[in-house]
Amino acid sequence: MKKSTKWLLMSLVTVFILTAAVTLSFGKVTLRFSDWHMGEAHWLKALEEAKVIFEKQYPDIKITFEPVSYGEKETKYITASEAGQAPDVMHLHAYSLAAFIEKGYALDLTPFINKEKAGFLDAWYALPLTLCTYKGKVYAMPGDYMAQVLVRNTELFMKAGFDPAKPPVTWDEFLEYAQALTVDRDGDFKVDQWGFGMIGAKSPGFELRFSPFVWSFGADYLTEDMKHSALDTPEAAEAIKFFVSLYREYGVAPPGATAFGPFDVRTQLAQEKVAMNIGSGWTVPIVDSINPELGASQVLEYSAVPVKRKAITSAWLSAWIISPNSKHPREAWEWTKFITSKEMELKWFRDASVLSARQDVSGVSLEILEDKHAKVVAYELAFAKFVPQIKEWPEIIDAVTTAVQEGLIGVKTPEKALADAHKRINAILAR
Amino acid sequence: MLALRIKDKQMGYFFILPAALMLLAVIIYPAIYSLKLSFTSESEALYSLTNYAELFRDALFWQAFRNTLVFVGVVVTLHLVIGFSIAMALNTRIKARLLFRLIVLLPWTVPDVVAGITWKWIYDPVYGALNDLLSRLNLIDAPILWLSDPKLAMASIIFADIWRGFPFVMLILLSGLQAIPRELYEAAKIDRASGFQSFRYITLPSLKKIVGVALALDIIWEFRRFGLVQTMTQGGPGHQTEVFSTLIYKEYFQFFRFEYASAIAVIMSIILLSLSLPYIWMISKE
Repeated sequence: MKKSTKWLLMSLVTVFILTAAVTLSFGKVTLRFSDWHMGEAHWLKALEEAKVIFEKQYPDIKITFEPVSYGEKETKYITASEAGQAPDVMHLHAYSLAAFIEKGYALDLTPFINKEKAGFLDAWYALPLTLCTYKGKVYAMPGDYMAQVLVRNTELFMKAGFDPAKPPVTWDEFLEYAQALTVDRDGDFKVDQWGFGMIGAKSPGFELRFSPFVWSFGADYLTEDMKHSALDTPEAAEAIKFFVSLYREYGVAPPGATAFGPFDVRTQLAQEKVAMNIGSGWTVPIVDSINPELGASQVLEYSAVPVKRKAITSAWLSAWIISPNSKHPREAWEWTKFITSKEMELKWFRDASVLSARQDVSGVSLEILEDKHAKVVAYELAFAKFVPQIKEWPEIIDAVTTAVQEGLIGVKTPEKALADAHKRINAILAR
Repeated sequence: MLALRIKDKQMGYFFILPAALMLLAVIIYPAIYSLKLSFTSESEALYSLTNYAELFRDALFWQAFRNTLVFVGVVVTLHLVIGFSIAMALNTRIKARLLFRLIVLLPWTVPDVVAGITWKWIYDPVYGALNDLLSRLNLIDAPILWLSDPKLAMASIIFADIWRGFPFVMLILLSGLQAIPRELYEAAKIDRASGFQSFRYITLPSLKKIVGVALALDIIWEFRRFGLVQTMTQGGPGHQTEVFSTLIYKEYFQFFRFEYASAIAVIMSIILLSLSLPYIWMISKE
C-alpha cells in the first residue's frame, strides 16, 4: 500500500471515530455539580462512586464535578449566579440558605416534588424541610442533618484520672474537667495540653460551637418575631462571660483562639493538644485523616453538649439547590433526588459518617443507631436548634463573633462587647 | 504615503481592539455596574444616596478606613526603605550577585494567599515556628499571640506583607540604579565627592521618577491587598485588622449587601484614582 493511501485511510478512520463519538454523545446532557466535599479524599471517593451508579441509571446524563472550598463556596456561587453561570447543582449549608433563596439563586423545586409520588417529602424530618421552604415553596433538598456534640479524648480522660465513660454533664463540670485536662505533659513548666479546643475565628464554624453556650444558659440571639436583638438579657451576659472566662480566666483553651477555625481545632484534637471540643458526625473521619495514628474512632467519644439551664445544642444542615439558570433543570432534579435518596444517604453515612436529614435513614437505620458515635448525634437531634433563618443572619453572627473576640482579646469587657453587639444587631434589623 | 499612514493608524486601532474590548468587559462594565448599584437600595425603587449616607455614619467603615491608611502607610514606607537599601546593596559588585538577586526576589513569587497561610502557621501560638524559636532561645516564657493580640495583629500582618512585597519595589529601584550612567559616579570621584555626596546629588535625583512610579504602584496595590489579610485574620480579632478590601468582601459575599459593598468600593476607587493621578501624569508627560 502506498504511504499516501495509508495516511488517507488512517485519516478517514479517525474522522469516522470522531464522528461516531460526537454522534453518540449528542443528546447527552452534562450537569455541573459543585460541592465543597470534593476537597476531602473520603468524600470525593464516595461522590465518584455515586456518579458512576447514577450515570449507569441515567446514560443520557453526564455529571461533571466542580470542587469548591468550604470557605469560598458562597463567593463562587454568588458571583456565578449573578453572571447566570452557576453550576446546575450546588451544596450549601443552612448559614446562607435563606439569603440564597431570597436573592433568587435557587430554583423552586415544588413543581418537581409535586410530580413525585404522594408523600414524597414525608421521608424527611420536618425541621430541616422548613429551612428549605420559603413562602410555601421548596427551594432546596435537605442533605446532612446533625446535632453538635461534645467530643472527648478518652485516653486523655483516663490519664487525668477521669472515668472515660462519664462525660461532663453541666458546664460547671465541664470547667472542672477542662481544668484538670489542662496540663504540662513534658515537664518543662509550660502548658502543652488544654482541656477545650475553642473556635474563636470568624467562620461559619463559630456559630455552631458558640450557640449551645447561648441557648443552654437560657439566652437567645433574637426576639421571637426576629425583629430585635435579645442579647440584652442577664442570661446572654452570663453565657458570653462564661465562654470568655474559659479562655481568659481559666486558660483551659489554647492561646490564640481568635485565630482558630474548625480545622485548627480539629488539628489540635488530632495531635492531642486539646482533650475536648464541640463537633459532630464529621469529626472522627476528619481527625482520622489528620492523624491516623491517634485511632480516632476508638479514642474519641461523643456525648451531649453540657447543660446550664436547658439541654440544647445547635443543629447543622446542608442542602442542595438547583440554579435557576440551569439549562437542564429536570436532569438536575434527577441528580438531586438521587444524591438525597435513602440509599445514597446511607452511603454518605458509611463513607463519611454524616447523618441524613431523612428520618427513614437517621431515625431507623440500625447501622446508625448502633454506631457508637452516630447514635449520639442522632439522639441529640431531639435537642438541636437552628440559628435564626433570616437573610441578615450572617451580619448578625458577625456582630456576635466580633463581641466574643473583643471579650477574648480583652479590648472590652464581655458585657460591654455584648451591649455593643446588641446595639449593632438592632441597627441591622432596623434597616 | 498618506494612505499608508492612515492604514498604519487603522492597524494600530486593530491591534489595540482586543485589549480594549477585554478592558471594557472586565473593568469598565463592572465599574459602571458597581457605580449604578451603589446608588440603589433594596428599600427604594429609585436611585438614591442612601448607601453613601449610611456609609459615612458607619463606625466600621471609618475603622476600616483608618486601618487601611495605617496598613498602606507603614507597608509602603518600609517597602521603599528596605527595597531601596537592598537595591543599593545588590547594585554593588559583590560576589554571587545574581544568586542574591534571585533569593531576594523569592517572596515576590509567592501568591498572596499562600503567603497568608504560611505566615499564619509561622505565627501560630501552639505549633508556630516563630514562638518555638523564641522559646528555644529563652526569649519568651509564654507564646506571643501574634494574630490575637490587638496590639500585635496589625503589626504582624504588616510584617508579613513587607516580606512579601518589598522585592517588587527593590526590583524597580534596582533597574533605576542600573540605568544611572557610571560616568557620573566616576566624574564625582574625580571631583573628590564623598559617597554620601554622590548618593545625594547623583543617585537620588536620578531615581526621583522611578521612586514616584514605585510608590504610586505600591500604594495602589497595597490599598487593594486582600488575600493576605483575609487568610491571616479575616479582619479580626474584632475589627482590629479590618481594611477596605476585607470589609467590601464581607458586605458583598457574606452579608449579601451588594449595594452597600458597591458604595464602599466606589469610595475606595475614588481614593485610588486620586492616588494614581500623579503616576498617570508622570507617564503621560513622557
